[in-house]
Amino acid sequence: MTSKTMNMVQALNSGLDNLMAADDRIILLGEDIGTDGGVFRVTDGLLAKYGAERVLDTPLVEVGIVGMAIGMAVQGLRPIPEIQFQDFIYTAMDQIINQMAKIRYRSGGEYECPMVLRTPYGAGVKGGLYHSQSGESYFAHTAGLTVVTPSSPYDAKGLLISASKGEDPVIFLEPKRLYRAGKQEVPEDIYKIPIGKAELVQSGDDVTIITYGAMVPTVMDTVKKNNLNADVLDLRTLVPVDKDAIMLSVQKTGRVVIVHEAPRTGGFGGEISAMITERGIDFLYAPILRVTGPDSPIPYRMEEYYVPNERRILNAVRKVLESA
Amino acid sequence: MEQQQKKESKQSEKPQYIRAYAAMVLSRTLDKKIVSAQRQGRVGFYTPTMGQEALQVGVSMALEKEDLVYGYYRDVPMMLHRGVPIETIINQIMGNSADTAKGRQMPSHYTSKALHFMSVQSPVASNLPLAAGAAYALKYRQKKNVVVTTFGDGATSTPDFHAGMNLAAVFKLPLVFVCENNGWAISLPVERQTPVEISLKASAYGMPGVKADGMNFVEMYKVARAAIQDARAGKGPTLIDALSYRMGPHSTSDDPTKYRKDDVKEGSEKDPLVIGEKLLISMDYADDKLLEKIRNEAVKTVDERFDACEKIPPPDPITAFQDVYKNMTWMLEEEVKDIL
Ligand SMILES: Cc1ncc(C[n+]2csc(CCOP(=O)(O)OP(=O)(O)O)c2C)c(N)n1
Ligand SMILES: [Mg+2]
Repeated sequence: MTSKTMNMVQALNSGLDNLMAADDRIILLGEDIGTDGGVFRVTDGLLAKYGAERVLDTPLVEVGIVGMAIGMAVQGLRPIPEIQFQDFIYTAMDQIINQMAKIRYRSGGEYECPMVLRTPYGAGVKGGLYHSQSGESYFAHTAGLTVVTPSSPYDAKGLLISASKGEDPVIFLEPKRLYRAGKQEVPEDIYKIPIGKAELVQSGDDVTIITYGAMVPTVMDTVKKNNLNADVLDLRTLVPVDKDAIMLSVQKTGRVVIVHEAPRTGGFGGEISAMITERGIDFLYAPILRVTGPDSPIPYRMEEYYVPNERRILNAVRKVLESA
Repeated sequence: MEQQQKKESKQSEKPQYIRAYAAMVLSRTLDKKIVSAQRQGRVGFYTPTMGQEALQVGVSMALEKEDLVYGYYRDVPMMLHRGVPIETIINQIMGNSADTAKGRQMPSHYTSKALHFMSVQSPVASNLPLAAGAAYALKYRQKKNVVVTTFGDGATSTPDFHAGMNLAAVFKLPLVFVCENNGWAISLPVERQTPVEISLKASAYGMPGVKADGMNFVEMYKVARAAIQDARAGKGPTLIDALSYRMGPHSTSDDPTKYRKDDVKEGSEKDPLVIGEKLLISMDYADDKLLEKIRNEAVKTVDERFDACEKIPPPDPITAFQDVYKNMTWMLEEEVKDIL
């Protein structure tokens, strides 16, 4: 398989291109995704290649984009709608929670809704309150949704392809801070990275750091710079989370730090922490600590104070290491 | 008698029109300053307002001091005309410690409670139902004021547009909907946003819908004045489709060459400022010398104020965590201790 160096935007674009070439049931829809190629350029060139019947520049209505995609999916198409910023997905929450997530259940399994809802999320691009949010918990809290978030170009493409080939709706959260943050060799053809499997990004004995999305590189930088002997788990899929990978690591280290950018209260870190204590409190030498965004909106000018950084991650790691 | 009246109205009209033109010029000058500062990395982001000056100033001319505006991210000309200090705009763009919202919001998201300009949100059109609530509050308190809400052509596709329009009509609220129809929603032309003329949408809610030439401030003023008078008189809401043109990019992050050819050039005869100048001259309210003076003053004001605002330091980091609630929760207190 030939490969090319790609950033995350290019990798996603390549994944969409592969999917569309292979399967005419794939339809893209969203705001500014056609002529403009998407405000982040993820769908660049796809309108020219696949035509306006398969790449729909829609009016400005997220609830309509999602609802229409659900209708397409139920009738056998494989839509991949884009919501321009995750912050605006909230105007489509009824369709997501009460339709998308419940089609299979409410029809006794007669109908299904295989689709991938893509959207950029997270801070770090100076977007302020409404272009920075990390709302993964809202989706994780809704049974029926699969929640995926990549942390590298290679993972982004492989996970997108798996998500699109599944049988259930997937919320595909793209960490926009990483869109152009780095390049990697990415195969030009189709390949899959399994949904529901975490990646052990680096292995160590002293502590388990569990993270995902845009925090993965920050955690890895911290680990490398400070020579931490840590297991670093990139969850990649939040729902269903890879319990086996987590428990295996916890059994080994007995010390856990969870890092995410979303606010602490009701954040996904709490869920992981509960899961670990329910299954393995006996393995733990220290309380599980969370390093998260604060329980406040995301400020524009003072953004750097919001996103977890090396100092905060290191503090938490030291604390759990010091516990007897 | 009639002659006398005409003369009187001309006497009050002249300064009013000159002031309107001055606000448009000030806004345009500031717009260009911010865009060029953004290119130099002195400003993070901005949504230019070029092309929408006349429509906004026309609406503002028809408003009274205590009327409320539930606007959106392109309303600088209206704010300046209403008397919002230019520093309020610049400090917001800079997100510095003098900014009303303490640097919390991305540029172009203004607030001015003093001049009744509700703080701007990013999600398109969610100000419309709020405007209905605000109008209800005015009506309930038997105030003689009205609410104006502004939004783009793209906003007309949203459920919030429908909700706001329907509620205003059902409760016969003192609310005027001003669609700043600049022809584009980022890359989508208005013809692809909706296949009908936006003014026609009003009839579905049982309210009047009027088209106005939003490039002509006098025309716009007259249309807005009629709608606002109706609202004030208890006759209910109106939708104004203010036909204009987004002369700049959607924002400083946008590259319009991907999707359109720029067809309204600054200084061309379609430019609302050029139209305004011609009007003033034809009415004999101004001559080239006066117009020139207004333009020069605007440049001076903008340069001075911009430089001064740029020197203002950033907000104290603690302010990023305040005003979430009236009192800080214990959770946030704990988090802030770890962060700062
Ligand atoms: C609910 C929502 N969806 C998407 C966006 C992203 N977005 C910001 S402005 C814009 C276009 C708005 O067009 P229009 O309403 O015509 O206003 P204009 O910018 O032309 O003044 C879009 C899609 C948003 N802010 N809110
Ligand atoms: Mg528009």
